[in-house]
Amino acid sequence: MKANKMKNRYATIILILSIMLILFVVLFSTIGTANIKVSDTFKIIGSKLPYISSKIDMNEISDSHKIIILKIRLPRVLLGVLVGASLASAGTAFQGMFKNPMADPYVIGISSGAALGASIAIISQIDMKFLGISSISIFAFIGSLITVFTVYSISKIKGKVPTTTLLLSGIALGQFFTAIMSFLMVVYTKDMEKIIFWTLGSFSGKGWEPLLHIFVPTIVSIIVLNFFARDLNIILIGEESAQSLGVDVEKVKLYILILSSFMTSMVVSVSGIIGFVGLIIPHIVRLIVGPDHRILLPASALVGGIFMTFTDTLARTIISPVEIPVGIITALFGGPFFIYLLRKKKREI
Amino acid sequence: MDYALEVEKLNFAYEEELTLKDISFNIKKGEFISIIGPNGSGKSTLLKNISNIYSPQSGSIKIYNNDIKKYGTRELAKNIALVPQDTIISYNFSVLDIVLMGRFSHLNRFEKEREEDFKIVYEALKKTNTFHLKDRNIDEISGGERQRVIIARALAQEPKIIFLDEPTSHLDINHQMELLNLLKILNKERKTTIILVIHDINLACRYSDKIILMNNGEIVSIGTPKEVVTRKNIEKTYGLNIIVEENPYTDSIYIVPLSLNNYIDQNKKKSRIHVIAGGGTGGEILSKLEEKGYNISIGVINIGDSDWQLGRKLSLNIIDEKPFSEISDKAFKENMKAIEKSHVVILSSIPYGRGNLKNLEAAYNAIKMGKTVYLVDSYSEYDKFDYIEGKGIEILEKMKRSGLRIINSIDEFLEEGQ
Repeated sequence: MKANKMKNRYATIILILSIMLILFVVLFSTIGTANIKVSDTFKIIGSKLPYISSKIDMNEISDSHKIIILKIRLPRVLLGVLVGASLASAGTAFQGMFKNPMADPYVIGISSGAALGASIAIISQIDMKFLGISSISIFAFIGSLITVFTVYSISKIKGKVPTTTLLLSGIALGQFFTAIMSFLMVVYTKDMEKIIFWTLGSFSGKGWEPLLHIFVPTIVSIIVLNFFARDLNIILIGEESAQSLGVDVEKVKLYILILSSFMTSMVVSVSGIIGFVGLIIPHIVRLIVGPDHRILLPASALVGGIFMTFTDTLARTIISPVEIPVGIITALFGGPFFIYLLRKKKREI
Repeated sequence: MDYALEVEKLNFAYEEELTLKDISFNIKKGEFISIIGPNGSGKSTLLKNISNIYSPQSGSIKIYNNDIKKYGTRELAKNIALVPQDTIISYNFSVLDIVLMGRFSHLNRFEKEREEDFKIVYEALKKTNTFHLKDRNIDEISGGERQRVIIARALAQEPKIIFLDEPTSHLDINHQMELLNLLKILNKERKTTIILVIHDINLACRYSDKIILMNNGEIVSIGTPKEVVTRKNIEKTYGLNIIVEENPYTDSIYIVPLSLNNYIDQNKKKSRIHVIAGGGTGGEILSKLEEKGYNISIGVINIGDSDWQLGRKLSLNIIDEKPFSEISDKAFKENMKAIEKSHVVILSSIPYGRGNLKNLEAAYNAIKMGKTVYLVDSYSEYDKFDYIEGKGIEILEKMKRSGLRIINSIDEFLEEGQ
C-alpha cells in the first residue's frame, strides 16, 4: 500500500537524520584545540546520562577534558543545534506560508527589531541580569516581539492578513529599525564594534545558561509547528483552495506567525543574527525530500541543527584561536553548496 | 424545504461600490445550475460568496437550512467543495497527495489518513479517470488532467454541493464535454448539487437544469435554459444579437450570435426598410440589415419559408401568408401598408411565379409611390427570374424604366450609406 510506503520513507529519513545529529554532536564536541578522543567524548557524555552512567569506566579520562566537554563544548554545540533547528523550522514555515522562496525567519523584520533592541541595551550600558538572562538578550527579545506585533497590526485589513502586505510592511519596518540602529551606531561610535559583533551572531562563551532558558520554549514551538504541516501543504496550493478544503487559513497563518516569530526571537536574543540557515536549509531539504511539510519541517530542523554546529565548529577552529562570527561561515559554505544543488537538480524551487 | 442553498438579499462590495446587489435565489437539492453573464457581471464573486471565500456585507446564505456562518471551516468543507478557476499548482506534490488533501476536513490535527480515507481517495481518482496518474507530479500533467484531479479532490471531500468557477475555460472542446459529462454523472448518481460559473452559453443550456443569468451584479433571470436564454435577455445583458435555435441532436437549445449591438449606428436605427424575399434568398440581406440596426419588415412571405423562420428569430415585422398558398388580397394590402411606412424597398433575387407575383406588383407600386427600390441581382440571366410566362419580366422592365436600382450585393447598398 502506497500509504505505508510513504510513512516508512518519512520515518526512515527522520531516523537517519536523528542518528547523524547525535554523531555530529559528539564529533563536533570533540574537535578543538584540546586533543580529546571521540570515544572519550562518548564516555564523558554517557556518564551524565541516566541508566548507562554506571556502566561507563571514567578512570582514564582527565578532569580537564571533562570540564572542556561538559562546560564549554557540549553546551555550545547543543545551542548551535537548537538555534539551527529553530531558524530552519521558522524559515520553512515562512516560505510555505508566504509562498515565497525568498522568505526567511527574519523576513518580517524580527532581526532588525532584535538588533535595535540589543543596540539600545549596549549603548545604554544596562548590564544587569534578570533571572540569569542578560539585558542584551531581553532587549533583543522585546525588540523582535514589538516588530512582529507592529507588522501584524499594520497588515491586518478587515480581519484578514494578506501575506504580501505582511511581507512588505515587514521589510519596510525592518529597514526603518535598521536605519535607527545605524544612526545610534554613528552617534555612539565606541559601541559600534560591539553592536556589529552582536549582529553577526556567535555562540562563544555562552555556557549552559542561555541553552536552558530557551530549550523548552523552542523545542515545544518546533513540535507544535509540525502539527500544522498538513495545513501548510494545503495553504501552499492557494489560500482560497485551502479555505474551501477546510483550513481556517487566517487562524493557521496567525498560529504559524506566532510560533515561528517566537522561536526566532528566542534564538536571536541569545545568539545574535545568524543569517542564511533559515533561508537555505529549507531549500536544500526541499530539493531532496520534496515539498511535503510533514517531512520537510522535521527534516529541515534536523539538517539545520547539524549544519549550524558544523559551521560553528569551523568558526572556532579554522583560524584558531581567533573566532570568526558564525554568520560569515554559514554564508561562505552554504552559498556555494546551495548553488551546486540547484545546478545539479535543475528543478525550480 | 428541500433546498441545498438559499440566498437572501445578498449584498457584497469589494470597495465602496456594490459588486453584488440584492441577490436572492434558492437552489433545490440535486440540481445542476449554471451561472452565466458577461465579464464583470459578478458571477465569480457570487460563487465566492456562496462558498464562503468572501463574506457579504449584508444578506443571508443558507447551506442545507443552516446559516453558512454557523458552520466551522472544517464542517463547511464537508458540505461544500470549490473547484477554483486557476488550478495551476507549481509545487511538485504527487497527484495522490493533492487528492488526499480533500480529506483534510475529515481528519483532526493529530490524525493520520486512515485506510478508509485512501479508499475514498482511490474511488475519486477512478471516478475522474485519473487513477493512473496518482504517482505522477501535479506540475507535470496536462491542464485537462489537472482539472480532473482537482475535481477528484473535491469528490474526496464528499460534499453535498460542488461549486466550480469556469471549469471549462482552459480546456479544448473534447475535454470540456468530458468534464461536463463527468459532472452530470456525479449529479445523477450521487445527487450532488452542482453549481458552476461558465462562459459558454450553449454548454450551459445543454447540461443545466437551471440557469442564472447575471449582469451588473444583479440576477437578470433565473429558470430553465429556455426561460432564461432568450433573444431579449441575451441582447440586454451581452449587447449581442442572437438567434435561439433548437438543437435536434441533443434536445437542448443553442444560440447563434449574429452581431454586436454596440456597432449599431443610432442614426440609422430609425430608417425603415421593407424586404421582399423568400426561399432563403433573403438570408444575407436580412442579417446584414439587422446588424446595421435598420428597422426591417418583410413580406409577403409564406409561413414556414426559411426566410420567414429567420424573420421570426430576428423578431422582424412579418406579413405572412398560409404555407404553399398564393398571396391573398388581404396580405397584399398589409404588405402595401408596410411599404408605405418604409423608406426603401429591397428585393432579393427570388424567382417569381403565380404564387408571389403580387410581391413584384407591390414593388412596382412602391416605385410609383416614389420609394427607392433596389434589386439585389445575383441572377446571371433573366430566364431564372420568370416562371409566369413573361409577366414577371414585363413588370421588371417597367420598374427599370421607372428608376429601379440594380445592385450586385447588399453590401453595395450598405456602402452607399443609405
